[in-house]
Amino acid sequence: MSRIGVFICHCGENISRTVDVERVAEEVGRLPGVAFSTDYKYMCSDPGQTLVKKAIQEQKLSHVVVAACSPRMHEKTFRKAVEAAGLNPFLCEMANIREHCSWVHENREEATVKAIDIVGMMVERVKKNRILPTITVPVTKRALVIGGGIAGIQAALDIADCGHEVILVEREPSIGGHMAQLSETFPTLDCSQCIMTPKMVDVANHPKIKLYTYSEIELVEGYIGNFQVTIKKKARSVDEDKCTGCGVCMTKCPQKKIPNKFDQNIGMRTAIYVPFPQAVPNTPVIDRDNCTWFKTGKCGVCQKVCGPGAIDFEQQDTLIVEAVGAIVVSTGFDLYTIAEKPKGSPIKGYGEFGHGKIPDVIDGMTFERLASASGPTGGKILRPSDGKEPKQIVFIQCVGSRAREKGISYCSKVCCMYTAKHTMLYHHKVHDGQAYVFFMDARTPGKSYDEFWRRSIEEEEAVYIRGMVSRLYQKGDKIVVMGNDISVGVQVEIEADMVVLATAIQPQKGADALAQKLGISYDKYHFYSEAHAKLRPVECATAGIYLAGACQGPKDIPETVSQASAAAAKVMTLFSRDQMEREPIVARVREAGCVGCFACKKVCAYGAVEEKEIRDRQGNLIKIVAYVNPGVCAGCGTCQATCPSKSVELDGYTDEQIIAMIEAL
Amino acid sequence: MPLTSQPIDTSIYATITAAIRSEASRLFTAAEVVAIIGYAAARRVGSAQPVIITDAAAAETLIFTEACVNNLAVYLTKAKKEIPKKGKIGIIVKGCDLKALVGLMGESQLKREDLYLIGIPCAGVLASAVQPATTLTTETIASKCCECDVHLPLGCDFVPSVTLPPGPQMESRYSEEIARLEALTPAERWAYWKEQFAKCIKCYACRQICPFCFCEQCLCDRNKPQMVETTPRPAGNTAWHIVRAMHLAGRCAGCAECERVCPMDIPLNLLNRKMAKELKELYDYEAGFEINDKGPLTMFTEKDDQSFIK
Repeated sequence: MSRIGVFICHCGENISRTVDVERVAEEVGRLPGVAFSTDYKYMCSDPGQTLVKKAIQEQKLSHVVVAACSPRMHEKTFRKAVEAAGLNPFLCEMANIREHCSWVHENREEATVKAIDIVGMMVERVKKNRILPTITVPVTKRALVIGGGIAGIQAALDIADCGHEVILVEREPSIGGHMAQLSETFPTLDCSQCIMTPKMVDVANHPKIKLYTYSEIELVEGYIGNFQVTIKKKARSVDEDKCTGCGVCMTKCPQKKIPNKFDQNIGMRTAIYVPFPQAVPNTPVIDRDNCTWFKTGKCGVCQKVCGPGAIDFEQQDTLIVEAVGAIVVSTGFDLYTIAEKPKGSPIKGYGEFGHGKIPDVIDGMTFERLASASGPTGGKILRPSDGKEPKQIVFIQCVGSRAREKGISYCSKVCCMYTAKHTMLYHHKVHDGQAYVFFMDARTPGKSYDEFWRRSIEEEEAVYIRGMVSRLYQKGDKIVVMGNDISVGVQVEIEADMVVLATAIQPQKGADALAQKLGISYDKYHFYSEAHAKLRPVECATAGIYLAGACQGPKDIPETVSQASAAAAKVMTLFSRDQMEREPIVARVREAGCVGCFACKKVCAYGAVEEKEIRDRQGNLIKIVAYVNPGVCAGCGTCQATCPSKSVELDGYTDEQIIAMIEAL
Repeated sequence: MPLTSQPIDTSIYATITAAIRSEASRLFTAAEVVAIIGYAAARRVGSAQPVIITDAAAAETLIFTEACVNNLAVYLTKAKKEIPKKGKIGIIVKGCDLKALVGLMGESQLKREDLYLIGIPCAGVLASAVQPATTLTTETIASKCCECDVHLPLGCDFVPSVTLPPGPQMESRYSEEIARLEALTPAERWAYWKEQFAKCIKCYACRQICPFCFCEQCLCDRNKPQMVETTPRPAGNTAWHIVRAMHLAGRCAGCAECERVCPMDIPLNLLNRKMAKELKELYDYEAGFEINDKGPLTMFTEKDDQSFIK
């Protein structure tokens, strides 16, 4: 016979205001099997939990029902308390008389009757609860980091420094990401390359980091602690083991006029190339679309000049499978290409700004390459059209961002600060030039950020005009910028030599496809979604996958680095134990009833159902039945609903329990 | 039913019988199969019954006539234990029976390589209410044959080389009845089915004959917890027939055996045809044509109707 303890919570006044909790305790106390029932003001408080623990011991309770809030809120709390008192935690159930009752009703009498019914159902249910042992699954203490920008580099270094192996996968031929493209960084104006490249070298030299550049994620299988990831290593056409990085191939390659994506297509590169001189690894890659050998079958100059014989035109894409326990996603951002409406996108584009048509209308990242000492102009600010130094330069903020009617309602967060930085860099390099900034608001929260912005106005003579630009057009070799100064209410017209647009930050192209491979969720802009906006900002809802950097939302470098270290800390928490505990709410197959139709296997979204052979003692095959791998099962119950012979049961939610609840009504 | 009944040419059945006999004999002699499931003459003149033969001598008992109505696929699930376990099994299949085999293969119950399929070019079989040895006409033909779309089974290992004579055009009796029921109000329709289900005596003949009711332990026989009331009372009867219809949705290919064996004449295949019609309309899916594709009810595609989510 069960000796059930029922504990009715007042939740301050949240429940007791509408429900007569004393009457509930009294009536439920008379139900068969209930040995003890009481009410208390705050059951989740320390004295409340002590009350539960004491009752379990003194009354020798076999099961516990706590009638309080939603199990989402405090089921864990009470199961822990029950466990501390010596009962299996899964012999404790919660009856939700707050969200399901007191909060949604006004009539005290009716609410009380309903509360008695709810608790009565849970009493019947808990009688059928079984002791469930905690499931432990082994943890593979290796991490995968997807994306080798500053976020991925930081996360990889932190995890590797703790002694765990890290697989770092980067789509481009070199790690470094966008930060490697930047000239100087706000708010200190230190050179981006100077702080970035040592970290890149650390990654390359770290004994615990396995680097796959020019590679993409093909397939992700498995679950937290036990993922199998297939990585596609694209053919580099250069043998990484033989190449010494001498660079002779690049100097001899006759194809020299290919726009370099790293230089925002204003600088040129060869067909065999490294994206930038500090690239890690310093192994070139052949761009097969532009290589004469691959287009015509002739040339092969690089192969002839390569001393170690590293050029391999026959190289194929290879697939590599790596076993990891945790995944950090740090795929970063891309800039909004505003010239035209991308196909199938809700984003409309800014044709009126002439981006892509007027050569001297550039975006912020292109300005970074112009200002960078290693950029195509050697750090001189020169117009892409004629190479002249612009004497009047206009910066336009919030291009694409914060424009609901254009399709993006969010703030890209970093543009106010980088534009302030651009005005300074410009002033440092073109002493007689004048910078104008059209802005809506200056958003400068952050340590030393506002001071930095003010410096651009007060010391570096940038003229800030509050208002937006309506149109840009080419007039001779000038660009006419027509705008509005709303602080004084006048039309402004500036004849500029160059215009820089602070275009919106967007997630990387293909972010949605990667999310589908990983099984993580994303918002309508394809930024990845965190498990909880405030309390779980670096975790995905999918266990074992963590987020770092701008793939989750626009971020500056300090924030990205912090989040990367936070993600690394989460990975290390997971790796701190050899076995991981999982809630034993998993499906189980009743093999006697299973006929092996595998309808369960077809509907399982987690790949948890396997085929299992049943053999007799002589080893003859009797039948093949379904088997649910408890390490993979997420406890969703779809198999249970699908099984035609009801041979799958979800522990904790068995048919017996559910029917007992219905029959109690 | 059509007002004037037209005869249906079944002259090829004699040739088919001869062909399957010699093929069966060959199969046993060459030790290609350990058993063949087919039809043999039954006691009443003109009638036929399923038979499982295990040697070449018995091949002469095999027949194919307009009385060979049974779907033999059921013997590969229910009676499987009585058939020798080792080696290939030969089976005589009409087009409609083949659909059931295809479904069973998709549900991991059978393997194609374990079977030797002897396909029958079929002009139709007699309705169950008709006396054996009656001529096959558009009136005496089984309802399922009126809407047959697989007179010639495809993908079999052996098919007698005969040419099916063209048969008369026939209207689908089920479609007519479904249309009639769909035109009723929900209350009238409910009254109709209540009356039908009230007749049920829970003999479970429909379950025993169905090739898709292959569960070793039917959930309707479970008593802890009891899912469906077992006594023949209205609530339990309705629950049983709804469970049956739902479990067959997307799987039943319309062999109509349930309807044939029902002693209380409940129009069971009518329910199955209605479910099949829904599946066709909602998911453009027809059961019994492809092996191993996930059924529409165990799969989600973005094209699926989502109008029910509000």
